[in-house]
Amino acid sequence: MSNWVDTVSIGLWNCVKSIQCCVLSTQYAVPGTREPSETRLYRSAILTFALLGSALVANQSHAANEVQSFSSTVGSVQPKMVKLYGAGGLRGLEAYQSGLLISADGHILTVWSYVLDTDEVTVVLNDGRRFAAEILGSDPRLEIAVLKVDATELPHFELSSAVELQAGSRVLAFSNVFAVATGNEPVSVLHGCVSANTKLSARRGAYVTTYQGSAYVLDAMTNNPGAAGGALTDRQGRLAGLLGKELRNSLDNTWLNYAMPIPELDASVGQILSGTARVRSEMAERRKPIESVDLTSLGIVLVPNVVAKTPAYIDRILPDSPAHETGLQPDDLILFVNDQVLNSSKQLRSELEYIDRIDEVRLLVQRGQELIDVSLFVE
Amino acid sequence: MSHSPSSSVSPLRGWARFWSSYPGLAPQAITCRRSAAEDVGNGKVLTQSLRIVREISGVSFQLANPHYRKLEAYAAENRTVISRTILMLLFVLLVAGELSAQEADIAAQEEAAMSAAVDRVAVSVVRIETFGGLERVGNVLLGDGPTTGLIVSEDGFILSSAFNFVRQPSSILVTLPGGKRTAAKIVARDHSRMLVLLKVEHDEPSKVPELVPTDEIQVGQWAIAVGRVYDPKRPNMSVGVLSAKDRIWGKAIQTDAKISPSNYGGPLVDIRGRVFGVLVPMSPNASSEIAGVEWYDSGIGFAIPLADIQPQLTAMKEGKDVHPGLLGITLEGGSIYAKTPTIAACQVKSPAYEAGLRSGDLILSINGVSIGRQSELKHALGRMYAGDTAHVVVKRGDEQIEADVQLVEELIPYEHPFIGILPRRDGEGTIVRYVYPNSPAKAAGLKVGDRIVGIGEQQPGNAVALRLAVANFEPEQTVSIRYEREGEEQAADLKLARLPTTLPLILLEDLAPDPSDKNVAAPKFIQIKLPEESSECLAYLPPTYDPAVPHGVVVYLRAPGDFDREKLLTRWHQHCEDDDLILLAPQPRDKNRWTPTELEFVRKTVDHVINSYSVDRTRVAMFGRQAGGALGYLFAFRHRELARAVIAVDAALPVRMRLPDNDPVKRLAVVTTLPKNSRVAPRIEQGVEMLREMKYPVTVVEMDESRDLDALELEEIVRWIDTLDRI
Repeated sequence: MSNWVDTVSIGLWNCVKSIQCCVLSTQYAVPGTREPSETRLYRSAILTFALLGSALVANQSHAANEVQSFSSTVGSVQPKMVKLYGAGGLRGLEAYQSGLLISADGHILTVWSYVLDTDEVTVVLNDGRRFAAEILGSDPRLEIAVLKVDATELPHFELSSAVELQAGSRVLAFSNVFAVATGNEPVSVLHGCVSANTKLSARRGAYVTTYQGSAYVLDAMTNNPGAAGGALTDRQGRLAGLLGKELRNSLDNTWLNYAMPIPELDASVGQILSGTARVRSEMAERRKPIESVDLTSLGIVLVPNVVAKTPAYIDRILPDSPAHETGLQPDDLILFVNDQVLNSSKQLRSELEYIDRIDEVRLLVQRGQELIDVSLFVE
Repeated sequence: MSHSPSSSVSPLRGWARFWSSYPGLAPQAITCRRSAAEDVGNGKVLTQSLRIVREISGVSFQLANPHYRKLEAYAAENRTVISRTILMLLFVLLVAGELSAQEADIAAQEEAAMSAAVDRVAVSVVRIETFGGLERVGNVLLGDGPTTGLIVSEDGFILSSAFNFVRQPSSILVTLPGGKRTAAKIVARDHSRMLVLLKVEHDEPSKVPELVPTDEIQVGQWAIAVGRVYDPKRPNMSVGVLSAKDRIWGKAIQTDAKISPSNYGGPLVDIRGRVFGVLVPMSPNASSEIAGVEWYDSGIGFAIPLADIQPQLTAMKEGKDVHPGLLGITLEGGSIYAKTPTIAACQVKSPAYEAGLRSGDLILSINGVSIGRQSELKHALGRMYAGDTAHVVVKRGDEQIEADVQLVEELIPYEHPFIGILPRRDGEGTIVRYVYPNSPAKAAGLKVGDRIVGIGEQQPGNAVALRLAVANFEPEQTVSIRYEREGEEQAADLKLARLPTTLPLILLEDLAPDPSDKNVAAPKFIQIKLPEESSECLAYLPPTYDPAVPHGVVVYLRAPGDFDREKLLTRWHQHCEDDDLILLAPQPRDKNRWTPTELEFVRKTVDHVINSYSVDRTRVAMFGRQAGGALGYLFAFRHRELARAVIAVDAALPVRMRLPDNDPVKRLAVVTTLPKNSRVAPRIEQGVEMLREMKYPVTVVEMDESRDLDALELEEIVRWIDTLDRI
């Protein structure tokens, strides 16, 4: 039946297109009006042809622009991916990762890691061609690197046209995870969706990661050995993010699946490509003021810090202190300081070090089942 | 193409005729479309529709399509057959064209439907933050990030997973979907489903989510797991399908969505945002708060159906914890997947006993569900709470007995009764071999050589049956006992005592064996080599071994450090020969430590001995010093079916060990040394207290300092092992 439909639809195509423009004006005016029957017949024919035409036009453009099957999408993305081989090979350290082409002339974006920490990084393209890569530069804060191979007319992603995703967006992840692809084999593709769009709060071993920017948390097993440097795309194959290294979520101690949004990396890649050195001060480090707030200056004495996570319970309030004036009491539990959640009294002490003595200290405390907001000034 | 027009008719006229002859198709087609939508959500409908179009030439799909219906209404108004026919043709074209695009666009529609589902439930999903508490529980390092909860009532009750509070936080804060923070407290816990009910005080009424009705829950439906840990404004989600119902002994539904601390406590919803249940870590083999966490993000995740918890919420809102329900019966040992649910013992004072169930009864059904294997009984009872009533049908002899048993939260700990005899070991099991002085048997006048033929209503034929029959009573109860003496049956009433907890050196003087006249020249260990096990295992089989005489087994678990195997042999071989014992000494992989994973190896060695030699299962004892003693406890409590005794030298009950209930059928007795001036003494005392609370018979051997047993103490303990078949 579909063949028959195709033939007819092509035959109808031209005439339909010509009357399509008049349809929009007549389409909704017709029902309900009373007219002579010949006109009605004529009208109805026009109407139906017109409707058909508009539908077909819509479908055709739809199909051409947006709707592709997953397999054609995957097929169009895979040539833009590369497999990287470098240092490593010791126990627990894999000597491979992934990368994505960002120019026709062989620029490759990947994640900075020990794999690149060698004189010889080998890049294998989708078609199996092998190149020795030159490392153009890296950004230690974002942990990304840009490589270059000597080739031209390569299929590639345009970083500037990267898309942004919402929680719930369907995604595809392309990478040489576990190095299952070799030679001219295309990289592996996984599908899933964006679980959340959030700030990264993760660590590697005992150390908090340097990248603290926003991240797409993914509902797919994307971040395994070799996946770092892979591409995250929407379901139409448009680039959205760069798969990061394996990390543990510091909030709940589980392995994270995530990607860094391309807009977070774009500027840095531009600087690496143009050879502009990054200015150190751009690193968004928190700075401690010269004279910071401390518990004594607020007039608060906490219960002794005896266990790893002693809650910040107030033991005593010093007389005539800011805390005394605001009515804080012994046994109040301090939960937040300036919107920072506190997991221990130790954390309260360290958070206070970032607050200047001239600034406001806002505390959220719990007294019984009541939550109380207080605002204190040392000076 | 069963409905397609015949080839002699032109398509146009054929459809016109088809239409006029089947006007009644329209409602059917619409019904079909709606049920498809309910089952699989928007996306799959299109696939369904495509199939329908192909099958009945597009007619029904047109009729079901709202666009077509608009056109059709217009055509009807104009009453022209031609316009309707053309309409039909064109619509087929339109639909066919549309479908290719729509089919490819299913992903977009599913994406939209899933986001909408999350949005819909988001108003009932709260973020929970906890303050203070533990850093790790067992081997699990706990995070201190936010967790999730689900609103279940307009007045501020919130359900969450018990895992989220395993840190025992000193304070709990809930951020409501609107962004308002408020303090929360734990009102009650569900110890069966590992849930926690929280209460928050606030003014705005909470939004209670819509439930998926139980009869609509189908395996294969979309299932979206929702948490609120990353972004306070928008929940995080994971997409999967419903993998199974009725999991974890009937308590949970299963999904392949990624379930982890990032959504424990949150809802599992269908494609419309209606709630299936609350996400929890769960394991079929363990029941602590952290059991099942190791399966996070694995594709095996669980949720507790809300419909199952709702009946409990009334009690929980009043601050009452709810618990799994217990019957108070013990089944015959063996694989629960193979054995029939025959009651081996029915504890006195238990609800099953009060309702009239007795040992020997075969359970046929629970609440109308027929039961064939022990695992099915566990499944049927697993979902029930304490306070629920189970309708039990049992078979006793030729009759069927029905009973309504109200399950309880806690059984009164069972304590083994004691008549005061040792039975003969030669197969004439109910003949008295020895009568304990000051025992009920002595008081009732039993003598060596008497054959016990009845106790209560039961007529045991051998020692095992006699021990089981006695296990149906408790100390202090008076039972009638019938016995034969010189061919004459006699009866007596005796008041049952408790199992003795003194060592029997003096007691059993008259039973002490003659010193072995067969002097073994050079006793030697044999090596037991198990396939796939690298560790070695020494065994001493006395040369006096005779397959006709069942032997006891002593599993010697050495202390860490250097080990002199010759010394061990010198100390034990005489005892083995005198008391018919096999000594088994499995060796640790690392001579300086035992690891809990080696329990399996030890079990295999014991299994090997039981399968290879004639073993008296009532006399299998774990004998361990220091870490070996701790391993002995672990082994005995994990393998109740194997171990009958633990002898712990210089070793305390492992901390945080959850003691199983004392079991009428699987007896376990403990001897421990108590070196009073050592550092380990307080922990040993604490363990003894715990064991005694659970009514395990514990014998304490006091000494001043930590040391190994001297020859006399060892002698006493070996004699005690020899009396483990006491009744």
